[in-house]
Amino acid sequence: MSRDRNNHGGPESADEALPSHPAAYSAVDAFIDPAAIERVLAPWLPNPQDRAFVVRCITDEGPVHHRGASFVLLRLLGDALAAAGGLPEGATDGAGEGEGTHAPVPLRLPPHLAEHSKGDPNYPLKMPLRPLLGLAGDDSASARAMAECLADGPPHHALANAAMLCLVDALLRRLAARAP
Amino acid sequence: MSSLPSAFGQAFRVAAAELGMASASQLMIREIAGGAGLEAVAELRDRYGREFPVLDHAAARWLSGEGEPAIDPEPVLAALQGIERLLVVGLEAAHLDLLLPALPAVEVGFITEGRALMPEWRRVLANYTSGSDEGRVAAVGLSDFQLWAGPRAALLTFIYGGDGHVVHVSGQWLRVAGPDVRTQFRSLIGWDVVGGELHVYPRWFAEVARSTFTKVLGS
Repeated sequence: MSRDRNNHGGPESADEALPSHPAAYSAVDAFIDPAAIERVLAPWLPNPQDRAFVVRCITDEGPVHHRGASFVLLRLLGDALAAAGGLPEGATDGAGEGEGTHAPVPLRLPPHLAEHSKGDPNYPLKMPLRPLLGLAGDDSASARAMAECLADGPPHHALANAAMLCLVDALLRRLAARAP
Repeated sequence: MSSLPSAFGQAFRVAAAELGMASASQLMIREIAGGAGLEAVAELRDRYGREFPVLDHAAARWLSGEGEPAIDPEPVLAALQGIERLLVVGLEAAHLDLLLPALPAVEVGFITEGRALMPEWRRVLANYTSGSDEGRVAAVGLSDFQLWAGPRAALLTFIYGGDGHVVHVSGQWLRVAGPDVRTQFRSLIGWDVVGGELHVYPRWFAEVARSTFTKVLGS
């Protein structure tokens, strides 16, 4: 059904249904609940300090619209996984090992310093390659290129991508187990 | 006639450079109160309080009978649990003297550039090393401190009072804790070495939002 853009007669007109200004910071902050994301990611980040670090980067750092969007999508994926039956067996296997089944999310250090880093140059959350291998028809080079795209960019982006991939992987495993 | 030492202001600057504003304030006031009494502390506050706001705050505590605040490193140690590297931005000798010996397995760095009052760093660092762990404490520059970053690394600075929303820190902290760095260190810890609000304009310091720290302790 087409919408009459000149119809200003009531609150249900298309123009009034859409916000004319970006939401206030406070409106976004009001719905972001870092503790809820900590609960969603706990299986992949069992160490509470690691978990707090990653969740801070996703929900407290970066532009406000990214923080809000990442919160919404992670919560919804967490709800979807719960509705599908919860975390399937094996969904976090290998998550602590990094290489082989998982890809790292690097800290965004300046390139000239990254190669000399004194400690672990990666975030504690790693990305499962399994769903990417499925997309890439088991072409591991292609799956790694996908992973590199997901992990590139600012940390709040990369970590939200990695967290979503963990949840998507778990959801796909759960749904595959249900398939006849 | 003044009961304060001549050139007290210059002497305090040297002490604050080597010890930190809060540690130097307590040391100076303790000495002056012990030698010349509370009247001298009142004169100290009157003459130098506006120039040195942490000294002013500490003098006010003494004059109100509260004396020196206790230093409790335990909450900071708890916040640093699991850390392998600690980068200290700023200097407060009285606090670090209690904290660092309780972290024997942690590598410690001091950002040595960008301080308003510059100490003799070799002497400062030597205070925190002994024969067996000389490599544990290092001077770190602003150009390469991110080498210390990682999921097991923390930044620590000192807070000089504030309220529920803003706190006062050294300008050096602003050079270090930019938006890029915030996501490179597990924890950004502020240790409030004053508690409460300063009574005069916080010269020497910069205001930042309290929420920019992952933990504010000691207040």
